[in-house]
Amino acid sequence: MENVTRMERRLCIAGMLIGLGLLIELASLLWSHPIAFILFIAAGGLLIAAGILVYLYSLVSGGDSVAQDTGK
Amino acid sequence: MFGPTSILIAIIITAVVLIALVVLKPSITVTRGGKILAFVSLFVFPVLGGSMGISEHVERSKNTEFCTSCHVMKDYGKSLLIDDSSYIPAGHFQNNRVPRDSACYTCHTDYAMYGGFRAKLRGLRHVYSQYVGKIPDKIELYNPYNNRECLHCHQGARSFEEGTTHNVEEGRLDLIKANKLSCLSTGCHSATHDVKNLPNLTFWSPDKAKKDDAGAAKDAGAESNQ
Repeated sequence: MENVTRMERRLCIAGMLIGLGLLIELASLLWSHPIAFILFIAAGGLLIAAGILVYLYSLVSGGDSVAQDTGK
Repeated sequence: MFGPTSILIAIIITAVVLIALVVLKPSITVTRGGKILAFVSLFVFPVLGGSMGISEHVERSKNTEFCTSCHVMKDYGKSLLIDDSSYIPAGHFQNNRVPRDSACYTCHTDYAMYGGFRAKLRGLRHVYSQYVGKIPDKIELYNPYNNRECLHCHQGARSFEEGTTHNVEEGRLDLIKANKLSCLSTGCHSATHDVKNLPNLTFWSPDKAKKDDAGAAKDAGAESNQ
């Protein structure tokens, strides 16, 4: 299996969080109801925001973690 | 053809596909192209999709159907169809004095700075009361209805400015404009939603009215052919 660095792992986590958030947003768009709005803000928005933060964190902490993971 | 919702759905689907590429093969982010792909799919599209989503949901929350989708508001929605135009909400709704698809929002939003924003915050509070908290026994406005909301449309209109009752005495019009004499005062435009009295009232049906019009046109056509 492909050797995944810590940064790549964080990108995967960010991608999954954002992807899930966007899918929730997509589902909320199919329903015009106050609950859909809450679903979008509370679940979709939170997941998207968390995913973006994980992505940004992976960028600022990416260089040294690659070295740690590869044992160099 | 392509509305904002279609564009938003296209952005979300594109973002999900690009994110799947990054998640399934994260090593592509080693190259410059991969880094750009990750930036676009993990930052640009989600921010764009999220902000467009908020805008879309806020627009949808202005719909009459949206407001009356909660059980407690159903009677207020029904009161828009009272077959008596002296009821202010019904008269406005049925005669297109307010857009029918955003009737509640048009009259119940403060036409002041951040009025729309405050209305949305209150909306969140209403959702909380509906599903988690307690629905009050009597639904009432937070503050007495402000004439500003009426004047937003009526100020400057001839029927308002030159109306006999509005000018029956010196200074009455100024009092109305200064919100010192409510438009909804007893004896003026006091008939509003009146949900308690709904079982005793008759209702207008837009579909029935259309059918009656079509029937009348058909009869008129038949008569002219004879």
